[in-house]
Amino acid sequence: MIILKIIKTLRVVSGFMYLEIENLSVQLGEFHLKDINLTIKEGEYLILIGPTGSGKSVLLETIIGFYAPDKGNIKLKGRNLNDIPPEERGIGIVYQDNTLFPNMNVYDNIAYGAKKKFSSEQIEKKIAEIAETMRIKHILHRNVTTLSGGEAQRTALARALIVEPKIILMDEPFSALDISTQAKLTSLIKEIGMKYKTTFLHVTHNFNDIWSLANRVGVMKDGKIHQLDTSINVFSRPENNFVADFVGVQNIFEGKIIEISLETAKIELNNKVIITSSDISYLSKISNENEDTEDFKDINKNTNRKDVNKSKVLIAIRPENIIFSNAKFESSAKNQLKGKISEILESGPTSLVNVDVDGCIFKGLLTKSSAEILEVKKGKEIYISFKSLNVSVIDKYGSFNSDIKKE
Amino acid sequence: MRSKFELIFIGITIAITAIFFVVIGSMFLIPSFEGFINALFSEQLIFAISLTLTTSLIAASLVIICCIPMAYTLSRYEFPLKALFKIIIDLPMAFPEIVIGIALLMFLGSNGIGNYLDFLGIQLVFNSTGIIIAQFFVALPYAVRMLYSTFNYINPRYEFVSRSLGHSEVSTFLNITLPLSKNGLFATGVIALSRCIGTFASVLFVGGGILMKTDTLAVSMYLNLSTGDIDMAITAGILLVIISFITIAIMEKYAKENYIH
Repeated sequence: MIILKIIKTLRVVSGFMYLEIENLSVQLGEFHLKDINLTIKEGEYLILIGPTGSGKSVLLETIIGFYAPDKGNIKLKGRNLNDIPPEERGIGIVYQDNTLFPNMNVYDNIAYGAKKKFSSEQIEKKIAEIAETMRIKHILHRNVTTLSGGEAQRTALARALIVEPKIILMDEPFSALDISTQAKLTSLIKEIGMKYKTTFLHVTHNFNDIWSLANRVGVMKDGKIHQLDTSINVFSRPENNFVADFVGVQNIFEGKIIEISLETAKIELNNKVIITSSDISYLSKISNENEDTEDFKDINKNTNRKDVNKSKVLIAIRPENIIFSNAKFESSAKNQLKGKISEILESGPTSLVNVDVDGCIFKGLLTKSSAEILEVKKGKEIYISFKSLNVSVIDKYGSFNSDIKKE
Repeated sequence: MRSKFELIFIGITIAITAIFFVVIGSMFLIPSFEGFINALFSEQLIFAISLTLTTSLIAASLVIICCIPMAYTLSRYEFPLKALFKIIIDLPMAFPEIVIGIALLMFLGSNGIGNYLDFLGIQLVFNSTGIIIAQFFVALPYAVRMLYSTFNYINPRYEFVSRSLGHSEVSTFLNITLPLSKNGLFATGVIALSRCIGTFASVLFVGGGILMKTDTLAVSMYLNLSTGDIDMAITAGILLVIISFITIAIMEKYAKENYIH
């Protein structure tokens, strides 16, 4: 215990844990946050995603101090913020809607917070510098009601940045902008992150933001964080079926573990065997939990391989990881299955091809040209292949009895 | 090509507005020009105009001072029995003004706190203070309601952002909330003033309707009507119409200017 406390203190002192949220609960009318635990490192870019009404905005506004927590603590650099008013927290916020003060021009908006912190000469210098970075030099004296969406958001970012906040919270800052403006702002934010070493907590509905900006991603629903992990892990190894469903993992199947070795596991799926090499330790664990049960048989102690009690498990394969071919072929992909095309859904430059493999519908993506070469059409027999590493085991909390997505 | 629906609605609007205009305008036809000028410059009417404007300006100022925190509280904060508080504040708008007059008279008179006030040498009824109190109570609910809507229109996120930029609650209120609500505040001020000028029944009761002492324009109109001095009564009425027209016109102009959502 003492050692843990010392490690925790050292982490805080060294800036390792920059923002710490411990067991945070907030009830706000119909919205509520339940036991949120979250840590952000200095300079980290954390993105929160989740359906509308999942509590993302309430979380941001609680961190900044507009709502008081019913339970739990918010700590910034080790300092508990619970009783600190928003103006003393040193946390900036940028909203989706234009919240530039309409009674001030662009320059005065940016100078508004700076006036509390810097002398007028310093402000002038800082605004010149930040206007250059944010490419708003030419609009400094414009009325804010005449700005385009991109200009308004760049001004809002400049206004938040100039007071040198310890962390910037962003609530869907790009959602009201067109795609090309979004892309420009994304690269601008990257530039800012590097230049000012800013720590960001960003709420978004756009998965592209995750790939472009995030170090880690949190997935929220009903006031809870369901998974907090690297972007790759959230998308390739969702921890439960909600996360899998939300991030768009389409091929989710319920199977039974039939064999586990050191590096791979075999999962039975409608009389077919799927090989996975991800999450083996987890699979071993759930199998071991059932060792006491009667039907557990350890038949091969010397080979590190064991047949298990056929514990149920959910597996997922992302559509982009499925390869199509007209015949079997030599490949590193351990899984090759034959099926029949049941549906082809065209969407822009790609097609989502559904392949029926003994009652399990696998969905895979094909570009238009690949679809032409393979001559895909409804009813045609086709082979699908995927690597064992791309078969993720999900629902690590064992909640797959509820609303399993059955294909 | 206008639809039948549109034409019928426009027709109804024009017809009723025309009736309104004729009704109000007919008042201007009754007195002779000479009678109007004589009444206008009579000592009694000059006193009534000056008393009305003085008391109304004081009462409207008090209304604005009080309604800002009240409207802001109702718009932004949650507290126990808030819904009941809102009903109580709105109530005087729903019942006849005469009820406010009687209630105030009961409260301020000898049946209420009058005896204690007398003991302290304070007289709140049957004088201009009574008029201001009556005007205040009549105008306040309208002002609170109007400013409440104004504050509701202002996105609280402006205030959140201001505070995140290092400004305290007071500084945010003074630098962001009030400037953003200036149109609404102005309109509220005009409506409050207009209500104060036009208040009749409660002013008659609490002020006592004493000639050359507590007769505001509305009370003067009533007193002159009851004594048969039509020229004086109608002139007071015309003045009230002109004042109302000016206030409404000013309000319309400012209300049209960019409202902040």
